[in-house]
Amino acid sequence: MRIKKQTQIKKNGLIIRLAIIVIALAALVILPNFLSATRMTMISRIMVFSVYAMAYDILRGYTGFIHLGFALFIGGGAYFVGILFVRVATSWPMLLLAILGTVVYSIFWALLVGKVAASGGSVLATAMITMAFGEIMRNMMERWRTVTNGADGLNYKTPFPFSNRTFMYYLCFAFMVVMLVVLFRFINSPTGRVLQGIRENEQRAVFLGYNTNRARTIALLVAGIAAGLSGIVYGLLNRFVNTDLLNMQMTYNAMLYSLIGGTGTLYGSIVGSTVVIFFQDLLLNLRSLHPIFERWLLFFGALYIAVIMYMPQGIVGFYNSWKEKRMHKKMAQGAVVSQEKQ
Amino acid sequence: MGEILLRTEDISIQFGALKAVNKVSISIEENKFTTILGPNGAGKTTFFNLLSGLYKPTEGKVFFRDKDITGQTPQERIKEGIGRSFQLTNVFPKLTVRENVRLAAQSAANVGFRLFKSYKSYAEVNARSDELLEQVLLHDKAPLRASELTHGEQRKLELAMVLALEPEVLLLDEPTAGMSVEEVPVMIDLLRQIKEKGTTIVLIEHKMNMVKALSDKLIIMVNGEFLCEGDPEEVSRNPEVMEAYLGGGVVNVTA
Repeated sequence: MRIKKQTQIKKNGLIIRLAIIVIALAALVILPNFLSATRMTMISRIMVFSVYAMAYDILRGYTGFIHLGFALFIGGGAYFVGILFVRVATSWPMLLLAILGTVVYSIFWALLVGKVAASGGSVLATAMITMAFGEIMRNMMERWRTVTNGADGLNYKTPFPFSNRTFMYYLCFAFMVVMLVVLFRFINSPTGRVLQGIRENEQRAVFLGYNTNRARTIALLVAGIAAGLSGIVYGLLNRFVNTDLLNMQMTYNAMLYSLIGGTGTLYGSIVGSTVVIFFQDLLLNLRSLHPIFERWLLFFGALYIAVIMYMPQGIVGFYNSWKEKRMHKKMAQGAVVSQEKQ
Repeated sequence: MGEILLRTEDISIQFGALKAVNKVSISIEENKFTTILGPNGAGKTTFFNLLSGLYKPTEGKVFFRDKDITGQTPQERIKEGIGRSFQLTNVFPKLTVRENVRLAAQSAANVGFRLFKSYKSYAEVNARSDELLEQVLLHDKAPLRASELTHGEQRKLELAMVLALEPEVLLLDEPTAGMSVEEVPVMIDLLRQIKEKGTTIVLIEHKMNMVKALSDKLIIMVNGEFLCEGDPEEVSRNPEVMEAYLGGGVVNVTA
């Protein structure tokens, strides 16, 4: 009887969740009709950065791997678009070449970092090496002025239909949804489960017979390619690329989006990047209200500290732990009931 | 006499000047319950680490079913059929109890590296996990996180995880260490059940009383060296053993 009731509750929960997802998707589909071009682009940017942060979450949140040069993936993708469009031609074939190039480039860096991680250095040493890799890419793009224009970056046009803001909005939207589904499937696959085992206790995972180095390399490949592709879409959206995209700050952004949303939850990254980018925008707009908001980073910092102090698991993590507490309460009540029956 | 499953040949490991394990040659018979007994610091856990592949020996060899496995990694040895538990509880703390066992069962079912298919769709893995949780009496704790279990329950969980690997030989490092008085008999009962199902068990222990009734064979180690072996009665009457235990004063035999 109780089991029946529980499945009923579960079913109801599922229906509610499905309804929320459908409504959210529908809202995002019709939204461009009510928005200015600036707002629309901002939301497009949020969607691209969500994918970038989700990719980072695969490493940090699920595998427990710290990649301090993660920006090299998104930056690499965007630079492939920029360089090919500026130096060769603004055309579809070049876009396809950029995608191909980015995938190969992402695989290269993922395998290299996988090798480094497998060589048995400490977590910190590995993290420092990944940071060096990121800096190598940033430096290369800064120094290779003839191709990249150095820190000034590349300005370019995109071929039709990518030049259309509304089209880009739907492209970013589709990209986010597809990547969310793909990455969700990945972390819920047997391999994805092994990653969580590595995060929790690598030695135990080894003694369950798993080749943890191989699993970690798979995680790096998936995360790297996903982030690289987000770089392509960002390049198309932004029509401008410079070394800011390869900066450490860009890696921190991935960290912050997933942290504020909730690490190890995947969709937390969507929540996180939405909150952060909206908040950033709000603070920037408040500048006209009072000069103190010129120092918007001050308030931004305060937000981070508040989240880390009061919601260390992030927004989604906070919600999940609340749900878990509720489950415990129910289990305790259930135990009391069954005892009474006896 | 049963077939020899696991065998070491003059195995040694040296850490700096310390010979933690010194030229130990033993053999583990199939379907027998063997206990390695010795005072603290006798090199029992180090010896286990050599058997399971965590350490590479400085000299000597390990054989499993007459196959030299000295050069194999821990993962390869698990695939051969050597499962082990650890002295300090070693589970995935933030994953649920069911997920802990499921990860082990998944490894045994060889679906560990499938991508893009939901882990929930492997019905046999899930069924096996539930069955094991029931065996170690943890089925009603399945949705909890492993970190929420008591110490004794975590040890049982770890046992379930090792069992999920369907090992031919089970290396258990002090499975009752740190358990409460009420939990120890439950664990012993579990071990007896596993033994009856025909799994070869090698146990590390320093409490003689606990293992006397369970073991078919005792192996005594002292100071990294093999001292003697035999059936429990015989060994416990051995004067050298009495000397090592009582004379050394390291361990209380009745503890």
